[in-house]
Amino acid sequence: MIRCRPFLPVLALGSLLAGAAVDAQQEAPAVPYTPPRTPDGQPDIQGIYNPVGTFYNIEDLEYQSLYQQFKPNPAMRGRSLIIDPPDGKIPFQPWAAEKRKPIYELHLDPPPDWVDPNAQCWPQGVPRHVNNREFEIFQPPGHVVIFNLAHHTYRVIPVDGSPHIPGNIKLWVGDSRGRWEGNTLVVDVTNNNDQTWFDVMASFHSDELRVTEHFTPVSRDRIEYRAVMTDPKVYTRPWTFAIHFNRNKEPGVEVWEEACVEANRKNIDLLERPGR
Amino acid sequence: MRRAVIIAVALVTLGAPAAAQSIGRTPDGRPDLSGIWQAINTAGVNILPHHAEPDMPAGLGVVEGNEIPYNPSAAAKQRENYANRAKLDPVNKCFLPGVPRATYMGFPFQIVQTPNQVTILYEYAHTVRNVFMNSPHPKGPIEWWMGDSRGRWEGDTLVVDVVHFNDQTWFDRAGNHHSEALHVVERYTPIDRDHLSYEVTIEDPKVFTRSWKMSMPLYRRIDRNMQILEYECAAFEEAFNLAGPR
Amino acid sequence: MILRSVCVLVAVATLAIPSAVVAGQNPQIPRAADGKPDLSGVWQAATTANWNLLPHAAEKDVPAGLGVVEGNEIPYNAAAAAQQRQNFANRAQADPETRCFLPGVPRIMYMPFPFQIFQTPGHIAMAFEYVHAVRRIFLNTPHPEGPIEWWMGDSRGRWEGDTLVVDVVHFTNQTWFDRTGNFHSEGLHVVERYTPIGPNHIHYEATIEDPNVFTRPWKISFPLYRRLEKGIRVLDYECYAFGLERTWYKPTE
Repeated sequence: MIRCRPFLPVLALGSLLAGAAVDAQQEAPAVPYTPPRTPDGQPDIQGIYNPVGTFYNIEDLEYQSLYQQFKPNPAMRGRSLIIDPPDGKIPFQPWAAEKRKPIYELHLDPPPDWVDPNAQCWPQGVPRHVNNREFEIFQPPGHVVIFNLAHHTYRVIPVDGSPHIPGNIKLWVGDSRGRWEGNTLVVDVTNNNDQTWFDVMASFHSDELRVTEHFTPVSRDRIEYRAVMTDPKVYTRPWTFAIHFNRNKEPGVEVWEEACVEANRKNIDLLERPGR
Repeated sequence: MRRAVIIAVALVTLGAPAAAQSIGRTPDGRPDLSGIWQAINTAGVNILPHHAEPDMPAGLGVVEGNEIPYNPSAAAKQRENYANRAKLDPVNKCFLPGVPRATYMGFPFQIVQTPNQVTILYEYAHTVRNVFMNSPHPKGPIEWWMGDSRGRWEGDTLVVDVVHFNDQTWFDRAGNHHSEALHVVERYTPIDRDHLSYEVTIEDPKVFTRSWKMSMPLYRRIDRNMQILEYECAAFEEAFNLAGPR
Repeated sequence: MILRSVCVLVAVATLAIPSAVVAGQNPQIPRAADGKPDLSGVWQAATTANWNLLPHAAEKDVPAGLGVVEGNEIPYNAAAAAQQRQNFANRAQADPETRCFLPGVPRIMYMPFPFQIFQTPGHIAMAFEYVHAVRRIFLNTPHPEGPIEWWMGDSRGRWEGDTLVVDVVHFTNQTWFDRTGNFHSEGLHVVERYTPIGPNHIHYEATIEDPNVFTRPWKISFPLYRRLEKGIRVLDYECYAFGLERTWYKPTE
């Protein structure tokens, strides 16, 4: 049974976050929550969720106001979604930190190479895949499947003990394999390519990135989420990112189509350039 | 699902494997492999695991162990082939694809079966292989693009031994290659009426440090009115050349 | 002995006459807990329809095909027929596939890439390898009210015996049916029928109706093959990202 205590810092963070797009959220109950079970015995966490966090700059919530109608609490200034290392900064190796430094000055009007790949309608990668827009989790037998509204990216997470695909195949959302530990879904994500960022601020990684995720339902309407990023080519140590998801309780709600590439003028220009 | 399991168990206890019972058989009791078959995979692009490129889907690979045991100089040659594949791939010139590449080119093929000969007619460039049953290879040295194929039955498996190759063909578009010493053993085993298990053992002491295997299912094409059509590769090339450079 | 023969008979019958499968009577089809056929798994079409729905000879890098259109004819009205010929002439630039756009329905079903079907009692989801397209088929619910223009339309399904019937409306006019310029307007209405024929094949049929473009409805059909490779899964094909990869932050070796 997962106890809530380790997640208290995240709960405190969550409860302080204010914003037009965010539900008022209850504190997680003191009694651990036991979800119902799906027909194949998985804890049932199916539904449509909204991430409560920021995807503009995961190191600094202040930046979220650039992206949406979001009024940061002044007490939150500079508060990060990264809970480890304690300073809330991605532990880049010196060469990597150097490469990334200029984006901070240019992020409002970046040159083409520094445009957020997500803005180009490319898949988000993990964990940005669940820290972006509304998404839906459903659990057909042997799987957890996550559909993201944002340009229809999806992730298929087998929970049947099957092995990862061969290592030299690199995928945009990686290769996910999950298992249930009590009521927590633990997902191992390998085979990532190096083309996704964690946010708009060019927080990059190499194709050796490995992500370990924990999804813990703490109530019917809330899932706590933690992801540990390991990448010996780019970071000095693993680091941990934590947010939570609120269930969308609107009756009859469905996740519908969002066609990104088709409407993205910049993309069309890029694809029509000579030599393509 | 439960109902199907119970029936399968019942059939097994009757003394014969359920799958074997649903395979068609020829008058001499062998599995009847006649019909039109196709591999549905990306081995023609690269027999090893690979991610997608323009017009080339990703694939999990068909090589057991996900590794081709090249000796060092052969490994270097493969890398060179890969770097220059747009120019060097023999199928670019519409040459015969060799064995086993013909099987997984991405085109259908038809098996015509008689007791003494199994003929495989490939849509790609009207490639033909005659598998002569229960007879010896002719004496070498002989260098054929599609080799010389001799077959025999081991239970329900058609085993085909292929030698007498040239060194001109590749295993895929990624430059995986061999010498004229190539020796291929194919095993076609029916899984059920509509699927064959296709296993290939590759041996070539000039190129590989040991033998290695590929395997994939072959799917019977059950599309309405299915028949082999034509892919007259060289004729397109001719049209291109006559029309001049583009 | 009798059971064995029955099994063979059933196998022969189901392969030969897909439309005659009696509801609930085919023991070979895997079934979900609610008794409906279970379509879950990784599937792929083997037809050449994405190049050309109609019968066609081979060209360089294009295999020949017998076509998937019943009657081998697409009933364009006169103006639309002229538009199709123009599309064909301009296909190298005008085919939305060249810009990696969502292919629409039914084209996504015969793109030469695998896709995975997930089935729950309330909806069926299809996750495609090609540009990670997604189709959500919500069961026994109405279409949302239009006007809506989606690339993949809005899909609502119901079971008729062992056939999944899917009604698709709310399309844009931006997709083509194949690479030869066969097209439609936003008035497109597609009705698909998925009928399992045995555990590893689905008979797929789509009736296409568009009064702005065609003089009558017309049908395509072809089988879907279950991919039997061990460990098969859907990978990715991020068409619009090829050749555009970022290199400025790659670690130096």
